[in-house]
Amino acid sequence: MTCEQARLQMLSEGESQDLTAHLASCETCRSELSRIGALWQSLDLLPLEEPSGKVRERFYEMLGAYRQGLAAAEARPVRRWWTMPVWQAAAAAGLVAVGLGIGYGVRDDRSRPELVQLREEVASMRQLVALSLLQQQSANDRLRGVSWSYQVEPSDEEVLNALVTTVNHDPNVNVRLAAVDALRPFTGSPATHLIARNAVVQALPRQTTPIVQVALIDFLAELKERNAAPELRRLVSDPDIDSGVRKRAEWALERMQ
Amino acid sequence: METVNTLVNAKDNTLMAEVSAGQVARLAVLFERYHRPLFRYFVSMNGDREQAEDLVQEVFFRMLRYRTSYDPAQSFTAWMYQIARNAGVDQARKRGSAQVVDIDTYVDRRAELVSSSPGPEESASRGQDLTLLRRAIGQLPEDKREILVLSRFQGMKHEDIAEVLGCEVGTVKVRVYRAIRALEQIYFALEKEKVS
Repeated sequence: MTCEQARLQMLSEGESQDLTAHLASCETCRSELSRIGALWQSLDLLPLEEPSGKVRERFYEMLGAYRQGLAAAEARPVRRWWTMPVWQAAAAAGLVAVGLGIGYGVRDDRSRPELVQLREEVASMRQLVALSLLQQQSANDRLRGVSWSYQVEPSDEEVLNALVTTVNHDPNVNVRLAAVDALRPFTGSPATHLIARNAVVQALPRQTTPIVQVALIDFLAELKERNAAPELRRLVSDPDIDSGVRKRAEWALERMQ
Repeated sequence: METVNTLVNAKDNTLMAEVSAGQVARLAVLFERYHRPLFRYFVSMNGDREQAEDLVQEVFFRMLRYRTSYDPAQSFTAWMYQIARNAGVDQARKRGSAQVVDIDTYVDRRAELVSSSPGPEESASRGQDLTLLRRAIGQLPEDKREILVLSRFQGMKHEDIAEVLGCEVGTVKVRVYRAIRALEQIYFALEKEKVS
């Protein structure tokens, strides 16, 4: 390997045996690698720019408008009356009155499924966004994901499961706390209330942060969830538990009587 | 249920192929993955946050508009950055300038961003060097700045950069090397200026 080839390899991904062998025997290239490599690495230290929340808002507005446009274009009739022979046009004109009456009915029947489909697609888009955000590395994004979860139907098990995972495993306290609150709408839905209530009961013994424990205890008291009583009693009698949490658990037990 | 998880973890090419086939809502997943890198690309190129946000919007709009031209065999990121480059060039043309932004404005704007971005402890330890580094990046000729941004900040493979720039992979390697050498020279010149 020549010095020129070695220099081009220095900033490439992966290790090259030829480069290693060349560096072992070439002092000039070793010094070059040390200088250029340090500068290359220091580029990582530059703080990353963050876009404002407007970018997301504008994107979803644009996507929604585009989809509406698509749906409208698909619904538009393709037949053109002016391309018909004259006699056909005359016959069509004679049927205008009847056509109008039927037309309104047909339009209703035809647009309703489209609207339903559009509504379903928008709901699925919201679900995607919430789920996608809940999996992001940045805590701010995960918080946004929790906020988006309020826009999905409370019968959505997929989002409910993602929120429960967030409550149980998210490393950030604020995100966990927000996710506990976001479970509320699910406890009011006939389709998911049992799963949601059970998830809140199961989440309590997993938490060690007092503020999240208190939020869960308040939630359980509000739900009057008797299945949580054994865990609440355990908290009350455990001297290692934060005193505020113990008092709150005691209060919740009294409230459930 | 499973479909949604599959979508969230789906490959870029698959998602874009689905957008291309008419399932345009899937673009939301690609937006969540790429709007930040795109924003950073534009900010690195022109130093203007507001303009960068407009351009991000424009890129996703063009993806929808030209969705049927997407070839799933092509790298999605390469296709996306081709659109991004064209959007940047078109906007610069609209503003009646040959360059996206003149270098003095760029450096001034970067300085504003630097002063507002890092935390106090970060500024204390390495803020000065980073300011110099940013200034040096701002003084790079546009083509060198772009290749550095794509290869370092966007983490793109040389093959994808070659596709975006319409050149050979070997040429990309040479240009990345020249860009980092040029950056080194500017950086040390600025450092010398600061000391004297």
